[in-house]
Amino acid sequence: MLEPLLGSQDAERALLYLYCLGEGYPRQMARTWGSTFSAMQKQLERLEAGGVVYSRRLGRTRLYRFNPKYPFLAELQTLLARALTFYPDAERQSLLMQRQRPRMAGKPL
Amino acid sequence: MKPVREMTEAELAAFVGQHLRERGIRVVLSGGMCVTIYARNAYVSGDLDFVPEVFVDRRKVSAALLEIGFEHHGRLFKHPESPVWVDIRTPPLAVGREPVKQICELVFPTGTLRLISPTDCAKDRLANYYYFNDRQCLEQARLVVEHTDVDLAEAERWSVQEGQEARFAQVKESLLEAERHREQRSAARQTE
Repeated sequence: MLEPLLGSQDAERALLYLYCLGEGYPRQMARTWGSTFSAMQKQLERLEAGGVVYSRRLGRTRLYRFNPKYPFLAELQTLLARALTFYPDAERQSLLMQRQRPRMAGKPL
Repeated sequence: MKPVREMTEAELAAFVGQHLRERGIRVVLSGGMCVTIYARNAYVSGDLDFVPEVFVDRRKVSAALLEIGFEHHGRLFKHPESPVWVDIRTPPLAVGREPVKQICELVFPTGTLRLISPTDCAKDRLANYYYFNDRQCLEQARLVVEHTDVDLAEAERWSVQEGQEARFAQVKESLLEAERHREQRSAARQTE
């Protein structure tokens, strides 16, 4: 949807992921979208260099979020919300319906 | 011209900023080094964060910095004679979600440095406190207020615009106290 603007489908996917779920790491995003880790990571690094997202280390993974200081954040999120309505139901649901609630350590399910 | 190894951080910033400007790249210093300058070295930053006023090809920036002896370290630059890192950020020049309107200029023997104003510097530090809960940045904002004239009414207006009215209210007294310290010092100097 926004690929002509963002220059990359993976950039769009990474931003949509963050818009829907608030935070994420490249491998998790790549798995959700059926993309590759390296492609997703490259786009996230590019977005971070541009100040759109920020990251912090959590153990061995790098967790990304929208940069709350990005001056066009509200407008970007409006655009992403609009783009999301054009996604097929199945893709939208698979993104939105990911488990977000905590799971106690040691619990099998 | 002083050798790079003898330059203070501010002189190095002026040297780099002026050289980039002479190459057609208009940059403004932002970030922690502005705190170092405005707080009279009460806080020492290890890097120079420059933001171009308009988009600029990184290859052009890179070529300009290599001319004065800087070397690439990933997306950062460093001069072999200085421990200071140089980062050329992506525009726009903003404080929180607002564009920066006022650019200040300070003249050093190494060049003219263009940088964000003391008020925008304090706001920039407060943004890091608001959004990342970074208490070091709150202390840096306080240091800037304690050493330089900061428009706290403007900082409050901006905080409200950012949706951070309640957070500003929590730190307002501490900032006002810093402002009183500065005014008392200034009055004491005048009576000496």
